[in-house]
Amino acid sequence: MEVLREKVEEEEAAEREEAAERAEWAEKMEKMMKTAEVSREESVLTQDELRDLEKKLTAIEIPTPAEYSIINKALIDVTKLPASYTSNSPKEEHLLQVADNFSRQYSHLCPDRVPLFLYPLNECNVPKFVSTTLRPTLMPYPELYNWDTCAQFVSDFLTMVPLVDPLKPPTHLYSSSTVLKCQKGNCFDFSTLLCSMLIGSGYDAYCVNGYGSLDLCLMDLTREVCPLTVKAKETVKKKEKAMPKKYAVKPPRDLTSRFEQEQEEKRLQEIRNMEEKQRKEEEERLLEEEKAKPDPLHGLRVHAWVLVLAGKREVPESFFIDALTARSYSTKDDHFLGIESLWNHKNYWINMQDCWNCCKDLIFDLGDPVRWEYMLLGTDKPHLSLTEEDDEGLDDDDDVEDLGKEEEEKSFDMPPSWVSQIKITPEEFETRYSNGKKVIQYKKAQLEKWAPYLNNNGLVCRLTIYEDIQCTKVLEIKEWYQNRADMLELKHINKTTGLNVDYFKPGHPQALRVHSYKTMLPEMDRVMEFYEMIRVDGLIKREETPMTMTESYQGRSDFLSYRHINFGPRIKKLTQNSAESNPRPMVKITERFFRNPAKPADEDVAERVFLMLEERIQLRYHCRDDYITASKREFLRRTEVDSKGNKIIMTPDMCISFEVEPMEHTKKLLYQYETLIQLKNEEKLSRHQAWESELEVLEILKLREEEEEAHTLSISIYDTKRNEKSKEYREAMERVLHEEHLRQVEAQLDYLAPFLAQLPPGEKLTRWQAVRLKDECLSDFKQRLINKANLIQARFEKETQELQKKQQWYQENQVTLTSEDEDLYLSYCSQAMFRIRILEQRLNRHKELAPLKYLALEEKLYKDPRLVDFVKGFV
Amino acid sequence: MSRPYDSMDPKVMDDDMLKAAVGEQGPQEEAGQLAKQEGILFKDVLSLQLDFQNILRIDNLWQFENLQKLQLNNNIIERIEGLENLTHLVWLDLSFNNIEAIEGLDTLVNLEDLSLSNNRISKMDSLDALVKLQVLSLGNNQISNIMNVIYLRRFPCLRTLSLSGNPIAEAEEYKMFIYAYLPDLVYLDFRHIDEQVKEMAKIKHQYSIDELKHREAQMQARLEAEKAQQEKLAEHKMAFIDHLDGSFLFDSMYSEDVEGNKLSYLPGVGELLETYKDKFVIICLNIFEYGLKQQEKRKAELDTFNECIQEAIQENQNQGKLKVAKFEEKHLLNVNAIREESELPNIEKKLIECSDDITELFNMLMTLEMQLVEQLEETINIFERNITDLVGLFIENVQSLMAQCRDLENHHHEKLLEITINTLEKILKGEMDEDLPDDVRALFVDKDTIVNAVGASHDIHLLKIDNREDELVTGINSWCAQLLDKIHKDEIMRNRKRVKEINQYIDHMQSELDNLECGDIID
Repeated sequence: MEVLREKVEEEEAAEREEAAERAEWAEKMEKMMKTAEVSREESVLTQDELRDLEKKLTAIEIPTPAEYSIINKALIDVTKLPASYTSNSPKEEHLLQVADNFSRQYSHLCPDRVPLFLYPLNECNVPKFVSTTLRPTLMPYPELYNWDTCAQFVSDFLTMVPLVDPLKPPTHLYSSSTVLKCQKGNCFDFSTLLCSMLIGSGYDAYCVNGYGSLDLCLMDLTREVCPLTVKAKETVKKKEKAMPKKYAVKPPRDLTSRFEQEQEEKRLQEIRNMEEKQRKEEEERLLEEEKAKPDPLHGLRVHAWVLVLAGKREVPESFFIDALTARSYSTKDDHFLGIESLWNHKNYWINMQDCWNCCKDLIFDLGDPVRWEYMLLGTDKPHLSLTEEDDEGLDDDDDVEDLGKEEEEKSFDMPPSWVSQIKITPEEFETRYSNGKKVIQYKKAQLEKWAPYLNNNGLVCRLTIYEDIQCTKVLEIKEWYQNRADMLELKHINKTTGLNVDYFKPGHPQALRVHSYKTMLPEMDRVMEFYEMIRVDGLIKREETPMTMTESYQGRSDFLSYRHINFGPRIKKLTQNSAESNPRPMVKITERFFRNPAKPADEDVAERVFLMLEERIQLRYHCRDDYITASKREFLRRTEVDSKGNKIIMTPDMCISFEVEPMEHTKKLLYQYETLIQLKNEEKLSRHQAWESELEVLEILKLREEEEEAHTLSISIYDTKRNEKSKEYREAMERVLHEEHLRQVEAQLDYLAPFLAQLPPGEKLTRWQAVRLKDECLSDFKQRLINKANLIQARFEKETQELQKKQQWYQENQVTLTSEDEDLYLSYCSQAMFRIRILEQRLNRHKELAPLKYLALEEKLYKDPRLVDFVKGFV
Repeated sequence: MSRPYDSMDPKVMDDDMLKAAVGEQGPQEEAGQLAKQEGILFKDVLSLQLDFQNILRIDNLWQFENLQKLQLNNNIIERIEGLENLTHLVWLDLSFNNIEAIEGLDTLVNLEDLSLSNNRISKMDSLDALVKLQVLSLGNNQISNIMNVIYLRRFPCLRTLSLSGNPIAEAEEYKMFIYAYLPDLVYLDFRHIDEQVKEMAKIKHQYSIDELKHREAQMQARLEAEKAQQEKLAEHKMAFIDHLDGSFLFDSMYSEDVEGNKLSYLPGVGELLETYKDKFVIICLNIFEYGLKQQEKRKAELDTFNECIQEAIQENQNQGKLKVAKFEEKHLLNVNAIREESELPNIEKKLIECSDDITELFNMLMTLEMQLVEQLEETINIFERNITDLVGLFIENVQSLMAQCRDLENHHHEKLLEITINTLEKILKGEMDEDLPDDVRALFVDKDTIVNAVGASHDIHLLKIDNREDELVTGINSWCAQLLDKIHKDEIMRNRKRVKEINQYIDHMQSELDNLECGDIID
């Protein structure tokens, strides 16, 4: 036990030492960087704090190094890598010397700064200059042409591994091809890959070695709001106020008291202010809660990211991309605490500016040698040629200038990249995530992504939004789908209200666009929206509540725009229970119409209401252009019987009408009667349509359920890998081609070849030889035909003999045989007979055809170009 | 029809016959009972069938104003007449009659289908008014001149034609000729025309058709040019500066001036006249240009005014509509509540509430209307002031330009006088070398005569200028007065219409409420 304790103590001591060392080093760093946050408090670290720090450090470091190396060693076979990986070319050696020289001068001139990250080892433990590790590549996928999709791909494709030592740049920097192979890497690997791709697609991109916040370095997004939850801000349209026209009427005089208004305004303002204040306080409180604990290593954590400078590819402003998360930041963002150096595939620059205020004051003019010390001369960045007189007062700068000058004499070009081409196969590109899945934790939200076709229901992305930071209470779930045969695109489940909203792409068999519901049971609250251009009836939206149904239409030839149906309670029938066979009775149907320009307003119905129970029909007409009241008409469709028992057809009090401009013909009973009859028919029609709507809802619900059950995925016909049909077809085509080819080869068989081979090659045939050749060929063929006939004959005889034998055997043992044996014998006999018959037929056929074949060959030989000259005379 | 109708006496189209026909062809069954009960007005009838009636003369149809379809086939009509009032007619069947000439169809501009088969017509004409004609049936007539078909080229909608049974149909070329000359035709003699055959016919008659087309195009172009001219003139008239864009006024000054024309033969007067004319025309052109500009200005002013007025009215209407809609919503609820209510006191209370609502609506709408009236009145006044100012300015400027004309005339007069007196002196002295026409020489008798002659010429000129000026000034003044009058009248009409509408609506609502009351009390 004691030994153990001692050991632990020893270890602790060692670690303490290490930590102390680190603290010292940190102090050094601070001096150089003058990072405001770290100064003072951290310069004098107490023992407690040290221990705390140390604990944290161990917690971070322990798992990573082992994991990192193991994975790489297991996955990469160093011996199979190309020679450029395992050795340096003379030019590279030269470059390394230059870099070494540069680094030495740098450490001499700036002794208090950390050593440069210039030539880390690659996977084969060969030092390689960082710029040559960049391999600008334009990807063959149009999706990867822009920086945002490119960054997204890199962040999706690779899995992040933290740095071995969070305070130091890594000792190894692997090639992008290796990183892509193992799909794992640290921030330097991420940035290198992304930078290669961005430069390849024409961006002015740089890898940056610097210092980042804790969240940034550990890819911790839990304090960030998920970009998918952020709603796009509505652009407020400022309506240009038209100049008041010359003859615009004056507004009516305002008779309200201005004083009172002001007082009211004041009061409201106060209330508003109060509310505002409360809200602010609340927000602040929340922010306080959410704020991370201060990081003791703030400003010391090494990170690498990508800088995109303005200018190329229409980039208006320089910005950072964090390759781990694919998020873009402004160069003034708080997460980026300092820049040590940056490089692209052509050059390497050291930041000579002060980073006390993070990166906020940095100026990214790489041509300015005072701010950015370059390593190689002759890059495309124009550099300001400062004369000696200008910076006489600044010794420091002068020295630095000298440093650059020395390089100038050498004027050395960056050697080409040693990395082999970066390749991403279409499968990899489509699968994207390692193992096809990726989970990102955001603030109050979790985002899961899958590769398409991985889930058999087509799910590609799921966003779960939580109510609290601890992510225990689900607020809502959004699920994105792809390649669904039912065109489902997005499913939105709101857990608090229980509302489900399904969004569909165009192409659903029922033209469904949006379907929001609480339950799939019919006759409940639901809203269905449709792609009205596809639907014949122009339906846009159908809303349902338990007792009503509202439909809106557009672009119908009968100008119907709206239909509202009120249902009464279902009349109970004992025998039938299903909704289909026992529809709810309709109490009221309200229909509204658009204005039909072909009709005068007084005859164009704007709204009609059928009150079923009261047997009443109300009509409201459209309003005339310069009127404010519209005509109305109300019909009682009750059929009454007069005192004598005759049916009353129409009486004046059955139709109450108000007409804006009374007309003569509408007063007539005949007109009213005809209108009523027409309305009765239309009522029937409307009821029928309403009933059909109900049926349709049922149908859609049924269909949706079936689709959910089956969730088949559609496969594009261009997707040759997945599309079975096209695959089969393609294979069949290939087979056919192959067979065709074989047949052709067969057709080209030369029947004279074996005989020609006997003759000495390269000599011209003599006549005698030709004749002999022909005769030989023919006689050989004759022999073959005879042989074939003999063969068939022989088989025929053998079969007959066997049959005879069997028959004999049967006759001998007939008495003792079981029925099974007998059956066996009989089947054998029939088969044998069949064979014999076939052989006989073949023999006959052969006999018939053989002379013909012989003649055909003879004919062919006569016509053969090689013999034709010699044998002609004989014909 | 078993009996031979020629044995019957011709019938007269009298009221009884028409009534019988209308009754027979009107609504049936229940609706028919109603119709009988109420009687059908002739002007409500849309379709009338009068075949096999042995009618000799079309008559008594003037009441059928809205008739769209009229069948008069199988009668013994000899003349097309008495159809002038049936302007809505779309379908007219006059087949199997004794008509000899097409006539009396000039008012039937809506006619689309005309059937005149089995008559005695020998020439196609007098159909110019039927611009919508689609189907023309003229089978079994006496048309004998194939060139008469060209007459049908003027109907752009004509698709179906039947001419079989006419003498021209026997000609060999008949079909090809028609295909070629009426390329838009789809059916001929109830048969569909094959596109290929049509093409062949077209090629066959290519030359003559091209010529015809050329002539038609020329005619068309001439008509259009004339129309454009007319329009331009009308536009200038609107600006009150017609015929001022040239020497028209100047020419008119001399057209009635006998003495002036005579004097122009004097030596030196020709050049004088020339320069005078040039200057005069320049001033005229100035007036013209100025007039056009002013016209533009007035138009723009009027347009803005109308636009603003319309906007204000629209705005007001929308408010009114909104108020009515709100009221109706509330009213409907109230009425329903009253219908369901059983307690009499409650009903009464609610009724009072309702009538209060109605009164309130009335007040609101009337306030809105009053407000609008005030607003519009003010705006109209401003407009009136502006437009009067504009007109005043225009008149002033034109008058000053006209004064220049008069100055020119005076100047010219002085010069002319000088020349004539000189000439007179010369003649009196006998130094006159050149030959003067006799009637001119006759003027140079003595000083008075010649001075009178020159003065008369001058007076005529001044009179012409004054007349033109007067014409212009009175024209624009009366235009202005009419415009303002119209605006005022329109506004008054609008106001009355709206007030009437509001009152009508309120009355209706009130009476409905009263009915409800009565009904409830009876219940």
